[in-house]
Amino acid sequence: MSVAQTTVGADAAALAPLQSFLSDFWSREQIPDSVRFPFELALEEIFINVVMHGSDDRHDAVWMEVTLRHEGSWLDMVLRDNGNAFDPLAAPPPDLDAPMEDRPIGGLGIHLIRTLMDEVMYASVNGCNELTLRKRLDDASAH
Amino acid sequence: MNVTHDTNNRTTTIHAIGRLDFEAAGAFQKDLEQAVADAAAGGHALVLDCAGLEYVSSAGLRVFLVGARAAKASSVPFAVYSLTAAVKEVFDVSGFGRIIDVLADRAGALEKVGRSA
Repeated sequence: MSVAQTTVGADAAALAPLQSFLSDFWSREQIPDSVRFPFELALEEIFINVVMHGSDDRHDAVWMEVTLRHEGSWLDMVLRDNGNAFDPLAAPPPDLDAPMEDRPIGGLGIHLIRTLMDEVMYASVNGCNELTLRKRLDDASAH
Repeated sequence: MNVTHDTNNRTTTIHAIGRLDFEAAGAFQKDLEQAVADAAAGGHALVLDCAGLEYVSSAGLRVFLVGARAAKASSVPFAVYSLTAAVKEVFDVSGFGRIIDVLADRAGALEKVGRSA
């Protein structure tokens, strides 16, 4: 089993270092391209959500911890933050059939994550949001 | 992310290359809105070449939507083409393929915007 972990402050400027953190792990673990994308997307969606909506005016005090775990044919990512409590799985799905003019801008990130991942679990642990995202590496050929 | 554009035969082509993430979205939106304004002023169609676009998040999708709305409001024919697997997956899952004209290749896009040879 391989594990990597990093923690960043809730500042959009930390997105690039987080993306590098993922890239390094993908290279080291030889993760197939098709599996990388859903994790990169999920990390951006959740992290930016914490930056925009999770920190109110206390950006300095809010952090996100990212843990990557590669074990057998599973790749897991755990996103833990101390921002405002938010269960993304409780959000209603977007109306994908709405015409262009009526379509609310945004709100698609969670839908993308739920669709592209094999398992998504949310827990509130000691006042922190903890989102676990899992995908089987074997599924790579299906995408 | 890198954006270039060229105009031929009353059609402006935007080539989007790299990663369209939260950081890149703001600048790309400005590029796209400017391109729509220029196309409207010149009576041109606008097509978006996505062959080099490796990544798009919901922040990037939002820019596609803003661009498509601006094009529609200005009566500029607009289509996107040559989506990579990851970007196509995002379009499919989000339903954007139903609200923006997405074509497999350049020939299809030119035909869609009424500029086929």
